[in-house]
Amino acid sequence: MTWFKKRPFLWFILPGFLLYSLFSVYPIFSAFQISLNQWDGIGAKTFVGLDNYGELFGNKELFSQLTGAFRNSVVLFLLNAFAVLPAQLYMAYLLYSGIRGHRFFQAMIFSPQFIATPVIVFMGTLIFDGNIGVFNKLLEAVGLGEWTRPWIGLPELGIFIVWIMVAWSGIGVGMIFFLGAMKMISSEVMEAALLEGASYWRRFFSIVLPQIKTTVLNMLILTYIFAMTMFDFSFILGGVSGGINRSVDVMALFFYRIAFGDNSAVGGTMNVNAMGMGTTIACVMFAVIFIVAVVQVILTYRRTED
Amino acid sequence: MNNLRPTRTYVSSAILWLYSSFTLFVLGYMTYQSFRSKKELLSNTFGWPDVFGFANLKKLFAEADFLRYLFNSAWILIATLAAIIMLSSMVAYGIGKYRFRLKGAVLIYFLIGLMFPVQLGIVPIFLLIRDMGLLNSQWGVALVLASGLSMPVFLLTTFFEKLPNDLYESAKIDGAGEWTTFIRVMFPLASPVIFSICIIMSVQIWNQFFVPLIMLQSEDNKTIPLMIMKFTNNLMYNIDLAMVGSVMATVPILILFFLFSGKVLEGVASGGVKG
Repeated sequence: MTWFKKRPFLWFILPGFLLYSLFSVYPIFSAFQISLNQWDGIGAKTFVGLDNYGELFGNKELFSQLTGAFRNSVVLFLLNAFAVLPAQLYMAYLLYSGIRGHRFFQAMIFSPQFIATPVIVFMGTLIFDGNIGVFNKLLEAVGLGEWTRPWIGLPELGIFIVWIMVAWSGIGVGMIFFLGAMKMISSEVMEAALLEGASYWRRFFSIVLPQIKTTVLNMLILTYIFAMTMFDFSFILGGVSGGINRSVDVMALFFYRIAFGDNSAVGGTMNVNAMGMGTTIACVMFAVIFIVAVVQVILTYRRTED
Repeated sequence: MNNLRPTRTYVSSAILWLYSSFTLFVLGYMTYQSFRSKKELLSNTFGWPDVFGFANLKKLFAEADFLRYLFNSAWILIATLAAIIMLSSMVAYGIGKYRFRLKGAVLIYFLIGLMFPVQLGIVPIFLLIRDMGLLNSQWGVALVLASGLSMPVFLLTTFFEKLPNDLYESAKIDGAGEWTTFIRVMFPLASPVIFSICIIMSVQIWNQFFVPLIMLQSEDNKTIPLMIMKFTNNLMYNIDLAMVGSVMATVPILILFFLFSGKVLEGVASGGVKG
């Protein structure tokens, strides 16, 4: 008891520590352990070693679903990294430079963040709908009537439609992070650059961007994690199967389909091994995230050491 | 910072205007359409409603049992938020104000959660909750969501570390114990940070889709996002309910956001700086 008395901080940390360990940290290890078993979640577990991994990569159907989902996740990440991220930086810089009405713009750009995903997907389907969609009406109005089509129903557009929704709703978060980082830059540096006659964009590339490099790298890794674990947009838009030809399938949806399948308690298209194969996919997802994250942390760390 | 303005303001503000007006359009479109009947919605994109009324809203309450979903969502929100605020401020205070050997390691332990999204561990979490007999209950969802302590712990630890030690010591001299100091002195001091955490987490919990989807199977226990998904699954039949449900799920939160937008954005940004 005296040992505890001498360490009062333990009483503060322990409750949160226990809950966090039980529901956030332990599941990651437990998932790896389950992935070594053939298990439907209710009956007896059979230890099969790495067989689930072998099957995931060896079974033709599973492997093609895996690669399809992975490709879509990567497309989502690349689009976010090369289109959304620069847009976020640009918008943040505009707001940082105190453009007229920046408070209003800031709130407007951030507010889609507060809309629940089902609502966003619902509005998206309404806007891109073939019959009553606003987008088609707009095309007709500007004289591009022959371009109208049922956008949501085109498999080759699937992941891009998902991306448009993701981008619209998510652009504000990164922008706010960048804005916060930009506000930390000392005003002396900026003023000095101004006196030296550095142009608007020169100041952006020579001062602002190098100063917020860490935030940009952090945002990049968050974007990556998001793309690899994005679930709700694809699920609501395409259902468990991932849409027509699995066109909106992503890693997390593939995982959900195998582990929980048709939304029953312990369902799944591969019922006999729902939990085993499900957690196997989760572990592959985790590895895919973890490796990239570690590489990124090492790179960032080394850069700040210099 | 007026002197930092871009040279070609028109082009830049045009881009911001474009984005903002699109957002405004979506919100306005949604609100407007929620007044129109199913027939009108399906036949004509634009156009005036025959009768401008609250028929859809009434239907949402009467037929779709909106109050139940609202109650379920509110239940989860309040329980989760209370737990998160209590636990994370205690943890952050323990890490931020006391000196001990494994301090850095404990903080990192709490921060690695930022790298493990709940999706990755959901199967073991599901099994755990099932074995505890909490499947299909609001308790299970609240427990899982309340364990997401990483972000609040991070924000609050940064705050407590920056707090001058004098306050802590003078409370000690006045004879306050560890807990009294925490509850009477430190917790109130942290209230601005706690406030912004409250808002950020509220939105996250309120709009949470994945965990309730997996944990809540009976219609009686489902939350508002799941309700909207149920309507949109059978869109041609339920488009009026989906519309008015979407408005009811979105507009109250947006009003709150615009009331507190300064505070919210400040809170989010402060988390991103050190990130």
